[in-house]
Amino acid sequence: MDFAIEETEEQKKFRAEVRAFLEKNMPGGMEHHVDPVDQPREQYELRRELGRRLGKKGWLYPNFPKEYGGSDMSADNVMVLSEELAAVGSALPPYYDSGARMGAPTILVWGTEEHKKRFLPMMFRGDIRTWQLLSEPGAGSDLAGIKTTAIRDGDHYVVNGQKMWVGSAHGADYAWTILVTDPKGERHKNLSWFMIPMNLPGITVQPMDVLATGGEGGAGGGCKNAVFFDNVRVPAENLVGGENNGWKVATTHLEVEHGGTGRLNDRRVIYEFIDFCKETHDGHRIADDPDARAQIAELYIEAEITRLWALRNHWLSHAHKPRSYEGPQYSLRRKLSSLDIAERMLRIAGPYALTTDKRWAPLNAAIEYFQRDAITSLHPGATTDIQKVIMARRMGTGGREREQAGKLK
Amino acid sequence: MDFSLNETQQLIQDSAKDYVSSACSRDVLLKIDRNSGEIMARQWKQMSEMGWTGMAIPEAYGGSGNSLTDVAVLFEELGVGPVPGPLFTSAVLCARIILEAGSEAQKKALLPGVAEGKRVFALAMTEARYGWAPENVHMKAKKEGADYVLSGTKLFVEDAEHATDLLVVAGIDGEKGLSLFHVDAKAQGVAIRPLKGFMVGMGEIVLDKVKVAAASVIGGAGKAAAPLDRAMLASVPVLCAYKVGGCKRVYEMSLAYAGERKQFNTVIGRFPRVQDHLIYAVNALDSARWTTYEALWKLDNGMDAAASVHVAKSVASEGYMKATDMAHEVHAGMGVLREYGLTLHTKMSRSLFHTLGAPSLHRKRLESALELMPA
Repeated sequence: MDFAIEETEEQKKFRAEVRAFLEKNMPGGMEHHVDPVDQPREQYELRRELGRRLGKKGWLYPNFPKEYGGSDMSADNVMVLSEELAAVGSALPPYYDSGARMGAPTILVWGTEEHKKRFLPMMFRGDIRTWQLLSEPGAGSDLAGIKTTAIRDGDHYVVNGQKMWVGSAHGADYAWTILVTDPKGERHKNLSWFMIPMNLPGITVQPMDVLATGGEGGAGGGCKNAVFFDNVRVPAENLVGGENNGWKVATTHLEVEHGGTGRLNDRRVIYEFIDFCKETHDGHRIADDPDARAQIAELYIEAEITRLWALRNHWLSHAHKPRSYEGPQYSLRRKLSSLDIAERMLRIAGPYALTTDKRWAPLNAAIEYFQRDAITSLHPGATTDIQKVIMARRMGTGGREREQAGKLK
Repeated sequence: MDFSLNETQQLIQDSAKDYVSSACSRDVLLKIDRNSGEIMARQWKQMSEMGWTGMAIPEAYGGSGNSLTDVAVLFEELGVGPVPGPLFTSAVLCARIILEAGSEAQKKALLPGVAEGKRVFALAMTEARYGWAPENVHMKAKKEGADYVLSGTKLFVEDAEHATDLLVVAGIDGEKGLSLFHVDAKAQGVAIRPLKGFMVGMGEIVLDKVKVAAASVIGGAGKAAAPLDRAMLASVPVLCAYKVGGCKRVYEMSLAYAGERKQFNTVIGRFPRVQDHLIYAVNALDSARWTTYEALWKLDNGMDAAASVHVAKSVASEGYMKATDMAHEVHAGMGVLREYGLTLHTKMSRSLFHTLGAPSLHRKRLESALELMPA
């Protein structure tokens, strides 16, 4: 067994190459905002610029095939790359890009060659930013119960309805979404996936004011939106994975969303908080208190298990090993342990954990943000209850045949 | 990065699986449970012949010098049984202590016997004021000429009844530090008494003016604390792997039972409340598994493993106990029927909970490893 990236000579060289690349290519003036809601448009644009520079080298979605703009990069090298990006305060991808992160693996499995050539390179080059659009006002956990329709009309589908909890600030170029293509059809056999240009007439984006964004990818989201479709005419060739075959296609999308691939360098704030407790601030060292120390030890254990499961899932997916319940298991743990850790931080640091005040907030108010984010993160990508439902199916409880994990390439 | 077993480890796993399923059926384990002497009569010779008693011992001292991860793979499968007996205490823990503390001559004199399974060591450390920290050791040896004399009681000693040799941890009157005294289990003044109850293989050892020659002090007098600490740090994750095996078994038993047992005309595994117990159990299993194997990987690669070892012991001790609790929730009455076999694990999970330090001790040690203690 080996829990580290094997730093072969080749990988050491790769790390040096990444460092040199980032030194040259990190756009100047990038600032870190603890709460993504504070990130102004020009900061978002800098991240997109970094994305394009990475994309040009095939490093934005590096584990994807070269022929579509990835690099066929090994799991170990992807980890090197994401570590080096994290070290300079960024992430892979450097901005919220849920539609590509989850859409691209899905298109790779279910799309036609034409789809792959059309959609993947522009995602992987960083030319477009894509949001995923799944939930609706009446369909959260029950994804198959969505109501937004896409009705065939000649060479087009006409889309009407509303999606919720979508994206981030500063808009997107494409929407990766699941819609009802046969309103009278049988449940699970009436859905299809689409890649929809967001500049089509009839699409309105309306920001929602939420407690925190719970964004993915370490780059944060900024806000969530409601997206309205009013007679939006979408070219028929933008349907991916076959008409009314959307529930099958969804298994791949959801596998990625449900944590099947693990997250690396996740929640560094937890380890930064431990360091903070060891330092003296305003004449006070939190770790001097035995009760605080006991809580910190518990918090560390929670964080370590979560980190190890992320690493395991990363290995399982990148080494193409069979998977069953591991994706939802990790997602469930990440959600619940984040909340547990946030609450321990509150016990340990007291009201310091709750303030954004510049004079008093620890770690630039990252702890305050974590308090809100841990609560918000309980729900995106399926609630904890839904994660348990999926886990139980994959474990094969009740003598059922074990449900297989969603297909990944 | 690689979370899979290598070829050697797969071979070890296969032969251990074979052994547990063929030689340690539920009936055999229940028999051993009723009469602990059976373990030596039935299992020990086979285990020794398969080389398991020598796995953790370097080739220079008659063993096969396997990595700790290799050894842990074996113990994970023994934990599936759960196969009781002194293999861990003697061939891993005590062997490691002798390796860490002993002089070259002592290692040459003692370890080949352990590797062959002829010597069976037990670690007599804990006492009435129970605990695994050095400050819990109150026994003091008296100096008599060049020799030492030991008197007092060691309590909750693992596998004491099977031991041919004892490593007694004690201080020396008027001197600082802890020492390791090698005592023949049959020596005059040694009385070993197995303890009964909801526990496995624990005993009381009363020492009444037991004479120990200076040459039988392992390593230097008063210098045992540091090597003892190193040896325990290396052995703990192997014990954790045994608990991982236990978690795996009770999870699989529960999953199978929930797939067969019908109530309200439905197999109970379809009920979300029952699924919650199964999910809890598999989470306990995977938490224990990966914290344990990361600690082993760090130890095998000479990295600082202290924090990982303390995390693993805390997680595996709690996890094994909780996993058996969940198994009982799923099995209801069937689970407490002794002949069903689940209670072998329930008892083992309790009995091993404190061995080599309770989770609370390891969390305290973790505080130090994370450098949280005041300057």
